[in-house]
Amino acid sequence: MKMKRVAATILSGAMAVSLAACGGGDKAGEGAKSAAADANTESAGEGIAEQAQGGVELEVVTTFAGNDGNAQNYKTFYQQWEEKTGNKIEDMSATADDTFKVRVVTDFETGSEPDVLFFFNGSDANSFIEAGKVVSIEDIRAEFPDYASNLDDGRIPVSLVDNKAYAVPVNGIWEAMFVNTEILDAAGVTMPGADYTWDQFTEDCQKIKDAGYTPIAAALGDIPHYWWEFSIFNYNTPENHLTIPESADDEMGKGWVAGMEDIKALYEAGYFPENTLSAKDDETFAMFTEGKAAFLLDGSWKVNGISDSCQSDPEDPSTLDADKLAKFDVTYVPAKDGRKATDLIGGLTSGYYITKKAWDDPEKKAAAVDFISYMTSDEVVPEFAQHGSSALKNVPEVDENVFNELQMKSLKMVAGSTSFTGPVQDLFQGESRVPTFDGMPEIVSGSVDAKDAVQEGLDIYWSSN
Amino acid sequence: MGANIYKNKKPLFLFLLPAFIFMIVFLYFPFFKNIVDSCMEIKQLGISGEVLNEPWYSNYAKLFTDENVRTSLKNTLIMTIVTIFGQVGIALLLALMVDNIKRGAKVFRTMFFFPIVVSATALGLLFNLIFLYDTGMINQLLSMFGKQELTDWKSEKWALFTMMLPVMWQYVGFYFVIIVTGLNNISEELYEAAAIDGATKLRRIWYITLPLLHNVLCTCVVLAVTGALKVFDLPWTMFPKGMPLKSTFLTGTYMYYQTMIVKDVDYGCALAVMIVVLGVVLSRLVNTIFKEKDY
Repeated sequence: MKMKRVAATILSGAMAVSLAACGGGDKAGEGAKSAAADANTESAGEGIAEQAQGGVELEVVTTFAGNDGNAQNYKTFYQQWEEKTGNKIEDMSATADDTFKVRVVTDFETGSEPDVLFFFNGSDANSFIEAGKVVSIEDIRAEFPDYASNLDDGRIPVSLVDNKAYAVPVNGIWEAMFVNTEILDAAGVTMPGADYTWDQFTEDCQKIKDAGYTPIAAALGDIPHYWWEFSIFNYNTPENHLTIPESADDEMGKGWVAGMEDIKALYEAGYFPENTLSAKDDETFAMFTEGKAAFLLDGSWKVNGISDSCQSDPEDPSTLDADKLAKFDVTYVPAKDGRKATDLIGGLTSGYYITKKAWDDPEKKAAAVDFISYMTSDEVVPEFAQHGSSALKNVPEVDENVFNELQMKSLKMVAGSTSFTGPVQDLFQGESRVPTFDGMPEIVSGSVDAKDAVQEGLDIYWSSN
Repeated sequence: MGANIYKNKKPLFLFLLPAFIFMIVFLYFPFFKNIVDSCMEIKQLGISGEVLNEPWYSNYAKLFTDENVRTSLKNTLIMTIVTIFGQVGIALLLALMVDNIKRGAKVFRTMFFFPIVVSATALGLLFNLIFLYDTGMINQLLSMFGKQELTDWKSEKWALFTMMLPVMWQYVGFYFVIIVTGLNNISEELYEAAAIDGATKLRRIWYITLPLLHNVLCTCVVLAVTGALKVFDLPWTMFPKGMPLKSTFLTGTYMYYQTMIVKDVDYGCALAVMIVVLGVVLSRLVNTIFKEKDY
């Protein structure tokens, strides 16, 4: 019952923000942004806004840069905030790769951290939270009670360090299974639904293989992450999925081993591409979009990736080949012993932090709070959230006509889900991942035993935690 | 005053100081810090180590038991041999042929040297497309000639060949230009005298060209060996994380993998120390074997 309530709340938020997010044409998008800016002038706390007026310069680091779909949104909205307040943003955003993560951690280490940071809220943030270099939402609210009050506290992720919330989230993600329906039709396989089981899935894979296609597009030697996550989730429930087993022999650990064995069984049955151990992720993704592979396990960001592949000009949505896009669908990942197929992996994995440095500066404190309040307001968040979820309390009215077919199918799939659980791999970082992530080719090819690999990873994890 | 101004060497030190400080700050200090870090416990990239490993030499002990270190050393050795014979050897053959043609030598020089100016990462991406499994150029050509099955050029069987071929191809032009310059310095009179004495072209190469190119070839070999130890960008672009099955690691790519992907920073530091030691030992060895001669 409780699960249903949580799922319903998440889904209503996800539906709303997703529907609000994607503008059909440029004019519609601009109109929405302009309206958001106008409305937001009133929505941000008046008290905060008054204190934040004046020529304050804030150093802000985010991941809204490079190819990030929200890079332009971010620029548009921070410039509107600058105009509104007369303050200045010194933007130092960069693509969210390993170099970026190192830069952020090093900046905190050397005392050159920014004033506001949009960053991951998992174990990547542990070092600067442990060092007390960012301010918790609770502490900020002691002085600014309206801070992030438009968001549902229950959906704001807490830190792994002290169980407190630090980062104000904007947009979330989900992971599911994309389907090339043209291949399914050719192989005589029906479109999987909410009650899809692992046995049905393997039967379908065999039919697809017999029809001369590759059943699953995955580069196990490069990105085994999604299969790793769901194969383990298949033996867990949303309630216990984020528990790291102590040993490969305990109840949870056996689930992890069984998950690895399932991937191995799929490999041995020849359901992955022949070059799955040597291919890169973009190669197998191309197999999927070019109609050579039927299933693709991936995240919400791939909705746009697949849509782009159906455009003659990936930069121009007006060149979309709607007939080609109609051949793609998205559904639930087949379930086994634990979770239901409709239990998804997803969540709000990043958010805005205020650093202690800015908080202790009387000039910057109010400006930082106002900036984040603006960027996480009811009007701005839907522009960022797109097909992901958000933590907004108020669900905005949306126009379904602005979405393409795959976006609509995604929304429908999300609406039918029963829960969102964070990825356990976000807790299982660094060296502990190596035996089962980078070691996946050795596991599936049989040169390393799945149980040994799981145990090795757990040993590394527990020796450093 | 007068000529004394030339005897005062102190101003020279002033001009040398900036470069000296630069080297200290950006080369020698990081190098010695790296040695210290290889013995420390570093939990995350960007964070300095505070306590020593238990025992402090544990990373160095791990070097001897880590199977991937053995793979990377073996592959680096193969890469070194490939660079000596594949790069310098082919460059020598090409230079000798170009040296014997009357017209168009400059065109060949430019053409062979051109790959050097293209970034290694771009070349990696280019060769990725050439060796692609599904729609790669080579597999398409093979299918045009009737080959039914696709070849996975990045599989364990072919991976080293696929990785080393572009590296070899990229640097042939570099050594080609060096050797051609060496050939130009050999006096034409020697060849004319040998021709009058009835020496064939092959004999002229064996008895005149190669001995007089000895020092140039020594330089090329030393550069090739030390270059092979540093190769990183192209192999990493084509075979990240030692794909497939960790069979393509080189010392440089394995160090990067441990530091940036696995985030075992202190072990990455130990690998870096190993690479430096290997580089010093190999370059000394090569210098000893290919000692330059005075003529």
